[in-house]
Amino acid sequence: MKRKGFRFYLRIYFKILAQDLKSKMSYRADFIISTVGMIFTNIAGFVSFWIMFRNFPSISGYSYHEMLFLYGFSLLSVTPTQCMLDNNWNLRQQVYSGDFIKYCFRPINLFFYYESEIFDAKGLGQLAFGIGTLVYAWAKLGLAVTPLAVLKLLVFLAGASFVMAALQTAAAASCFWIENSFYVLDLAFRFRDYAKYPITIFSPVFRFIFTYIIPIAFIAYYPGMMVLRPSEVSLLSWLSPLIGAVFFYLAYRFWMYGASKFNSTGS
Amino acid sequence: MKLRKYFALTRAGIIESLHFKLGMFVMVIGNLLYLILVYFLWRSIYASAGGGSVNGMTFTDTLIYLVLATALFNFMEMYTVWEIGRNIQSGKIVLDLLKPMSYRRYLFWSYSGGFVTQFFATFLPTFIAVTVLTHGAVPLGINLLWFALSVVLAVMINYSIDFIVGTICLFTESIWGINIMKQVIVLLLSGATIPLAFFPDSLRKIVDCLPFQSIYNAPLTILLQADPTPAEVLPTVAVQLLWAVGLTVVSSLFWKCSLRQITVNGG
Repeated sequence: MKRKGFRFYLRIYFKILAQDLKSKMSYRADFIISTVGMIFTNIAGFVSFWIMFRNFPSISGYSYHEMLFLYGFSLLSVTPTQCMLDNNWNLRQQVYSGDFIKYCFRPINLFFYYESEIFDAKGLGQLAFGIGTLVYAWAKLGLAVTPLAVLKLLVFLAGASFVMAALQTAAAASCFWIENSFYVLDLAFRFRDYAKYPITIFSPVFRFIFTYIIPIAFIAYYPGMMVLRPSEVSLLSWLSPLIGAVFFYLAYRFWMYGASKFNSTGS
Repeated sequence: MKLRKYFALTRAGIIESLHFKLGMFVMVIGNLLYLILVYFLWRSIYASAGGGSVNGMTFTDTLIYLVLATALFNFMEMYTVWEIGRNIQSGKIVLDLLKPMSYRRYLFWSYSGGFVTQFFATFLPTFIAVTVLTHGAVPLGINLLWFALSVVLAVMINYSIDFIVGTICLFTESIWGINIMKQVIVLLLSGATIPLAFFPDSLRKIVDCLPFQSIYNAPLTILLQADPTPAEVLPTVAVQLLWAVGLTVVSSLFWKCSLRQITVNGG
């Protein structure tokens, strides 16, 4: 089979996206309520953050606004996963019921086709909230707004977003082997809440674990430091986009391997 | 022998959840990771604040409070809203309504097996872990009895709130959005995310008038008191009892009125 180019996939993506949005619009009430729910989640996260810092001015050397910066960064970093890989949540049922077989017969990349089927528009609310938080923290910290800083932010944000995508994809793929893998996916989902804290609060053992084994420190801390404290970044911060890409590639191979093991339950 | 029919449902629930051993295992791992995060986060928060007690809570108090709040959450989370929502969408609710037991009771007792397995799989291990970790800082005396009573009332309140929210699903056809809103509000305003002692006074006054603090804050505050006299504990328990009875009545009535609204697609 001839390999299809990037432009081909982009065109297909928007075609499928349009279909998905059409079907979402026929459940308008559900869409609005879900979006409000998403905004609720973000507000509650922010309120608990605020309450915590009312009582404690700093956490291991990081001020309120610096923590807010990392918080905004982590929100933006997980947004692509929320919006574009949301169909991973349905994978378990589709493998269980055998409906997954329909994806295997298309002459395009299986992973691409599966994930493109659903675009989670309520993640856009989170995107707006994340941008707001980040801009506010940026202004309050008095960080310089130079083209270089903005470029750095975009590049390292893009790299960081692969990490959550990798964790979620790998967790979802576990359903090819495990019955009732909901808890695995739920666990990966909860990691995003841990991502906003500086890795320095942990003891060395857990620093190692959260850097190399469950790489949540790459969701916000290491890449975020590039913009937040450019003078004291470590090599890991520089490497973070590469590490994100590698993790995502491995997770993708794992997912595809699982899919190749898929035996339909028949119907 | 009236209780026998209820316990038959409990037994079925235990057997069902024991079927998914691996899922249980992942959940225990997830809770362990959460425990680690909470421990290090608050340790560094208290270290930054110079140790001692903040708002009348020491580091150990906060740790016990938050860790057991999570354990209680896992224990009490019955996914009622999801269950009702899904039963409405699939039409299974029609069969449940025909059962010789009120739907409210049927749903509660068919989950009750989960209480037993969750107690042994998550609550008890967490309780032991936190007792060991804090070198026996959890007072083990008469307060445990009050705590048990308080948790029973909390389960009733929590279930009633869930049932009210689930009933709303009859009208909205949105499950995710409704459920996430409920979860966010309950977790924040009940003190499960941040102990209520840290809330600003004005917010605290509002929260005290709401039923949510009776779910997590009430039992956990009781647990942290060493050898409380009945006079100290009774007001808290009395408030819980009022909410439990009130919300039970409200949720039953609301369900009865709403049942006329039911539309089920197909069968």
